[in-house]
Amino acid sequence: MEIRIEGLTKSYVSEGKKVKALDGIDLTIPANEIFTLLGPSGCGKTTLLRCIVGLETPDEGEIRIGGDIVWSGKQGIAVPPEKRGLGMVFQTYAIWPHMSVFDNVAYPLQVRGERKDAIREKVAQTLRFVQLEGVETRSATRLSGGQQQRVALARALVAEPKVILFDEPLSNLDAKLREETRKVLRSFLSKLDITAVYVTHDRVEALALSDSIAVMRAGHIIERGSPQKIYFDADHRFVADFIGRANLVQATVREQQADATVVECALGAIRCQRRDVSAGDQVTLCIRPEFMHLTGAGGDTPPGQNVISGRIETLDFVGEVYEAEVRIGGELLLARVDPDVRVAQGDSVSFALAPAHCLLVSA
Amino acid sequence: MDSSRSKLTWSLIVIVGFLTLCPVLMLFLGSFSQGLTAFGHFTTAKYAAAYTDPALPGVVVNTIIFVLGSTVLATGLALILAYLNTRTDIPCKPLFKVLSIVPMMIPHLLFSVSWALLLNPSNGLLNAFLKDVFSLHSAPFNIYSLWGMVLVEGLLNMPIAYLIIAPAMASFDVALEESSRVFGAGAWRTLIRVTLPVLRPAILAAFVLGIVRSLASYAVPRVLGMPGRVDVLATYLYQMIATGFAPDYGKAAALGMSVLAASIGLIVLYRALTAEGGKFVTISGRGYRPAVIELKRARTPLFIGISVLSFLMAVLPVAVLLYTSLVPYSMVPSARAFASMSWKHWIDVLQDPVSLLALKNSLFLAVVGATLGVLLSIFIAYVIVKIRTRASGLLESLSFLSFSFPGIVIGIGFMWFFVQTPLYATLTALLLAYIATYLPYGVRPLASAFVQVHAHLEESSLVCGASALTTMRRVIVPLLIPGIVSAWILMATMFVRELTVSVVLSRPGSEVLAVQILSFADDGLWGKLSALGIIMILISTALVLLATYTGTRFKAARATR
Repeated sequence: MEIRIEGLTKSYVSEGKKVKALDGIDLTIPANEIFTLLGPSGCGKTTLLRCIVGLETPDEGEIRIGGDIVWSGKQGIAVPPEKRGLGMVFQTYAIWPHMSVFDNVAYPLQVRGERKDAIREKVAQTLRFVQLEGVETRSATRLSGGQQQRVALARALVAEPKVILFDEPLSNLDAKLREETRKVLRSFLSKLDITAVYVTHDRVEALALSDSIAVMRAGHIIERGSPQKIYFDADHRFVADFIGRANLVQATVREQQADATVVECALGAIRCQRRDVSAGDQVTLCIRPEFMHLTGAGGDTPPGQNVISGRIETLDFVGEVYEAEVRIGGELLLARVDPDVRVAQGDSVSFALAPAHCLLVSA
Repeated sequence: MDSSRSKLTWSLIVIVGFLTLCPVLMLFLGSFSQGLTAFGHFTTAKYAAAYTDPALPGVVVNTIIFVLGSTVLATGLALILAYLNTRTDIPCKPLFKVLSIVPMMIPHLLFSVSWALLLNPSNGLLNAFLKDVFSLHSAPFNIYSLWGMVLVEGLLNMPIAYLIIAPAMASFDVALEESSRVFGAGAWRTLIRVTLPVLRPAILAAFVLGIVRSLASYAVPRVLGMPGRVDVLATYLYQMIATGFAPDYGKAAALGMSVLAASIGLIVLYRALTAEGGKFVTISGRGYRPAVIELKRARTPLFIGISVLSFLMAVLPVAVLLYTSLVPYSMVPSARAFASMSWKHWIDVLQDPVSLLALKNSLFLAVVGATLGVLLSIFIAYVIVKIRTRASGLLESLSFLSFSFPGIVIGIGFMWFFVQTPLYATLTALLLAYIATYLPYGVRPLASAFVQVHAHLEESSLVCGASALTTMRRVIVPLLIPGIVSAWILMATMFVRELTVSVVLSRPGSEVLAVQILSFADDGLWGKLSALGIIMILISTALVLLATYTGTRFKAARATR
């Protein structure tokens, strides 16, 4: 089911100051996608999710789920959460400690008044789906973190909702388990015809899991698109910086070419991904460390690439690569160097930069 | 939803405000009026009379020695016990748990009586025994003295101090101490320079609470102070209003205002200290076990010390009362004493109409009072924990206010109110006064129960499609049941033994157990007193055991699922 949000505003008072948690959000979440709301803490992503599910009341605007208005300020419609028929996985899992695994998962069906044998069958089926068989009679709080997470998922799925919402569901797991659970979650969700709205502040989680990402800041959606679009072709400086490591350099537009925009900056003249800007504009150049390729001393650079040269100031071994801070024309740039390349602190080096990976972002 | 919530908050503020502010206001008005039945016109004569009484300075000095002495003893003992239990390898740790709940089972009144039976100078059992053995001319100990009172009150307040200090010590991050050791400080210096300062808020909180409780204490001064004519403020106030003397409620109210003000001030201080406590005491990570300090050669002597203390606190009082209830008159245990034992006192008590009435009244007050008190507390706790508005903050302060009420003083305040109403000398008057005075005992366990019910548990039920009512029935109430049970039992135990408020408000026909026991003490009927006392202890103990049993049963039920 599609979720359509228009002009959604929500503010609250914190320590005497009025804070806008959501500031006129317009957003359409396509049906049967995994859609992620990504942003730093306090950006409003959880508030938006809680408005969709109905646990929080917006100030203005409209929310439609699959064509039905569930909240509208103008029309005075406010469908309570229990009537919206959604599924949700909470950050704390919210597993009821006084109920068994079976009762936790069966709850949504029980409150709908389904027949007992139907409930037993559906619960068994859902637990099998989340690979959690044979623990029905156990106390849910005595399971491991990963298992509790799957109980929460089973409970959210058991009534076959058309929309499921996740509020940072992996943040309570340790790093290794988080990675495994993320993969499992992705495979579970892709087997179902379900719209999933996922809230996180973890960029890797967002990139790995989502069909689409919306990046939020201070109650606004800054940018949305596929993970690749957000990572490689971000339009906004904040998004480029938030989604990965980035070297940001102030630059001035010099000229527009057919397939590139040329800018002038401390690194010299750089050919960049073409953007709609005019000569003389101030822009920010964004170069990701992993796209700075060390070139040999001979300098056999492919045609059309930018070449920048500088001196290695520091070199840190972090496992799979060396992280080098390189002084180039007064700027200190972070670059990633393969561990089998022999370089040392103080060496003069050159990097090749493909124009496609030189992003111009708005300030 | 918001408007119904604020309606709930405000109606609770009105109810709790009436219960807690009414006695304070009546006490205030009473202190400026001429008499109990008619206020008359405004007068400050009672203040002048109360504060110029030549006996007052002596009473105040006694009170200060009694309060500070017993609190220092209680806090010091609690600190040692908490340290031994949480940080060392002392054996038999369940003993500490017993020590900390004993005063819940043995009411203060009976604890004091048992010490009087042991160490009174004329025929105290231990005194008589020592006189025989060492052929002394006079009794070696006199419990009817200020120091006797300090000792008994200190022992009685020790568990409360322990219950505040021990959790703070258990959650103490040992790395703080270990770093001190690494930087070259010895064990003793680390204790003085690091451990105690970090625990200072908890220790101070225990100390302040001890002062409030001993200032309000009536049982110990009444039983141990009055025979030796050692008066403290509580007994001095009571004498002013006791029928038998020439009752002057106005004078008592005028003096009571100071006691109440001091108490409220101290409780405000206590709350500030406990609110700040979180900042100081750092909680170490999960699964982290602090290093246990080996006591080595000190282990056995310390263990013997703890055992003796446990014996003094738990076993001896009950044993003395049981013995006294069975022998015909006070005599040192001997073959002759055991031969003459009978159930005479028990039969007398169970045929005494006043004792039976008192028993019936106390049970009624415990069951009905605790039920009403818990019902009220559920709503109060819900508003305090789940609705966080300025009004709910006001409600929290109001419901906590009675924590500082000295029973005698607040009883006098209520007296002024009830005299104007048909409730005077009824059980309903006692019921209202009990609930008002002991409200925090219901609110606190329920508030912590509500805190444990994370908002997500409630919200996920709504998202699953359950209505608010279903959510209440299937999720919230089941999670609250342990809190409800413990609040009910805590209030019921308090009401079964209630003395200080009752001693002011109880009248012929509305006698309660503690007041009846006190009247036996006044008449020197120790055998009957002991029999009725044991009955009271049995009721209290049954309630406490029931609480522990239901507590573990709930835990077990969860664990096995």
